[in-house]
Amino acid sequence: MLIVLGLGILWFSGVCAAILDGRRRWVGFASVAAILAAIAALVALGMNVRDEGPQTMTAGGWPSGVGIGLTADMLGVTFALLSLGVLLAALTFEVFNGVRSQSFPALVLLLGAGLTGVFLTADAFNFYVFFEIAMISSYILTGYGDEGRQLRSATIFVIVNLLGSAFFLMGIAALYHQTGRLDMAGIAARVALLNPTSVILSAVLIFTAFGIKLGIFPFHFWLPAVYTGTRPAVAAILSGAVANIGTYGLLRWGGGMLPDELHTAAPMFFALGVISILYGSLQALSRRSVAEVVAYSSIGQVGFILVALAIGGPAGFAAAVLFAIVNAVNKTLLFLSENLRGWLTGFAFAVGAFSVAGVPPAGGFLGKAGLFQVAAQDDNWIVIALVVVGSVLSFIYMFQIYQRRFWTPEVAESANAVASPVSVRAVVVVLAIITLLIGFWPEPVLWVSEQAGQSFATTRP
Amino acid sequence: MNNDMARQAARLLLLPTWMVAFAILIKGYSDSGDGFSGGVIAALGVIMQYVTFGTAVAEKLRPVRYARQIALTGLLLALATAFTPVLRGQSIMTHFPGPNEHATHIGSLELTTPFLFDIGVFLLVMGVCVGVFDLLAHATRRDRS
Amino acid sequence: MTLIVSLAIGVLFAAGSYLLLQHDFIKVVGGTILIAHSVNLFIMVSGLSRGTEPIYPLGDGARVSDPLVQAMVLTAIVISFGVTALLISLIYRVYVSHRSVDIEHLSDFEERLVQLEEQQVPPEPGIGVLEDREVDEDDESDQPDRDGIQRDERATE
Repeated sequence: MLIVLGLGILWFSGVCAAILDGRRRWVGFASVAAILAAIAALVALGMNVRDEGPQTMTAGGWPSGVGIGLTADMLGVTFALLSLGVLLAALTFEVFNGVRSQSFPALVLLLGAGLTGVFLTADAFNFYVFFEIAMISSYILTGYGDEGRQLRSATIFVIVNLLGSAFFLMGIAALYHQTGRLDMAGIAARVALLNPTSVILSAVLIFTAFGIKLGIFPFHFWLPAVYTGTRPAVAAILSGAVANIGTYGLLRWGGGMLPDELHTAAPMFFALGVISILYGSLQALSRRSVAEVVAYSSIGQVGFILVALAIGGPAGFAAAVLFAIVNAVNKTLLFLSENLRGWLTGFAFAVGAFSVAGVPPAGGFLGKAGLFQVAAQDDNWIVIALVVVGSVLSFIYMFQIYQRRFWTPEVAESANAVASPVSVRAVVVVLAIITLLIGFWPEPVLWVSEQAGQSFATTRP
Repeated sequence: MNNDMARQAARLLLLPTWMVAFAILIKGYSDSGDGFSGGVIAALGVIMQYVTFGTAVAEKLRPVRYARQIALTGLLLALATAFTPVLRGQSIMTHFPGPNEHATHIGSLELTTPFLFDIGVFLLVMGVCVGVFDLLAHATRRDRS
Repeated sequence: MTLIVSLAIGVLFAAGSYLLLQHDFIKVVGGTILIAHSVNLFIMVSGLSRGTEPIYPLGDGARVSDPLVQAMVLTAIVISFGVTALLISLIYRVYVSHRSVDIEHLSDFEERLVQLEEQQVPPEPGIGVLEDREVDEDDESDQPDRDGIQRDERATE
């Protein structure tokens, strides 16, 4: 029952919020309370998983291979908590700032329900259904604000992700045709028996879909346009919560169901990761506005995740999860503070900048250190050099944008010339404190990512 | 074709269209049919009113004025049907007369919780289709004025 | 049979991709509809088998067509229907704002916005030079061009 509690809370409160007018303060605060309740339910579920191992529930009371299964293991619960945390921060930010559209809280809640479903399901087609629920909510959220820039972002976002969903569905149908099963465990068991030449096509389709979602190198064209055009809260949601679907999908489908294909494709993952890191960092060096720099920085950071996946094995997966956690917190912090002013925001932005660059004590260095450690174990000097180069570049562009934004006097302002309320800036400062906390006390995050990385048996020879 | 004839036909056909939609909903358990297709056909009846009578008249119909409420009622009904077994300790979406158990019949229709879920889907789809079409109908209206 | 369906899927996907690259937003939406339909057909073909309807009671040893594939296709059709409705509302919104459904016009508008924003930014000092004037955080720095942008946006609505 605990598995579906968080999902049920989010879904029901999303529908209730859709009936009400989201612009009112009490509706916004009630939605924030709903997300908090769902986070509490997921934490309880996480503690259950830590004590008793993965929890399962099959819908309809059917036997395990027949019905649609829900499985909560450490990987899923981690990502669900991460995404809901980002949604909480973004929704609180926007509620304090003043919600402009009456469906905003409802959409965030429904997005949360979709994301929780994605991370907790053990059935391939159910994954697709929850994935679509989350994506449709995010399509509408991208257009929040209703200005020309948001419309263009929404248009690009919808069409590109529609293509991604089509590829994903083709991959699922192809896997079903080859294995005859839809539950993830059944597919994993049967894929091992198949001729790898036939499975590689399905794997390519699925990888393309998640690549589009993440925004890694060949599929990155939509990312800057969308992240810079949307409002800050929505950009934070997209980069901190929705992009997690890509990472989780590569881990679950690549590491869990198609491990041999992941191993075969590791050189290509590595190459694409390297290109993403270099491309993102070099582009970010030449940009002028905060949103653009952070958007191109996102391309760079997901390149690191791809490199971690290319290394593979439980250590590589743990490094990927660690990087995803740290990256989500960073990006939320940076996007939420992109339009604010004042010395509090400057401090928060500085923490975020140091985190992206990988400077202790801001938490970002954990991700890079994890990657460093995994690479050093394999004597992989290329990765070590890559991490160093990537960190240096990110330090340069982050420092550059920090100086441009908070040190030089500002003449051109963003849409509101009035200073934003203190509560809004408080949200950003809390995020910065969390980032510092991760840096000073990394044990929980390290333990969680290690557990998550061990969620599948290693088949790496 | 005479416009008056179209209007007469549309006015007369609204309720029979809804009858057909409801019939498709009900016969889905022993023949081909579904809540989704029933909802789309019910929405088609309303859209027919838009096409023949124009936006100003058709937007006063009850299903159009309450489209959002209809859709959200349907969604709540479907969600309640799915999540109520969880409160009783069973899995999500466990249906009430289980497989091979006896169910109350009205004719050939069995009264089971899947039927309730389907009604929810029917209302949801009808509300959504009508709502979206209402939005687009207002586009053309503003354009002309 | 599979060959013919595969050819149909290929033709649909090709037509959809061609339409996706057009300038007119409505044609782009038509392209996404075609691609979604080709994927639905692909799902159907992944479980293609001759047989009776998969509804109880079945005859003994009767071959039944795959119900799982039909359920998946139904779900996929509903999802693509929802997204198409969303895209059409987006077309409406774009049309109301810009009076045209050409995607190029949307991009041009965005570029004009960016140009106007860049023109207000004063020529900045280099990266290494820090201006050490006494910063007075003046909220009322003259921003006539910002209002100009607002007026421009409202005029196009």
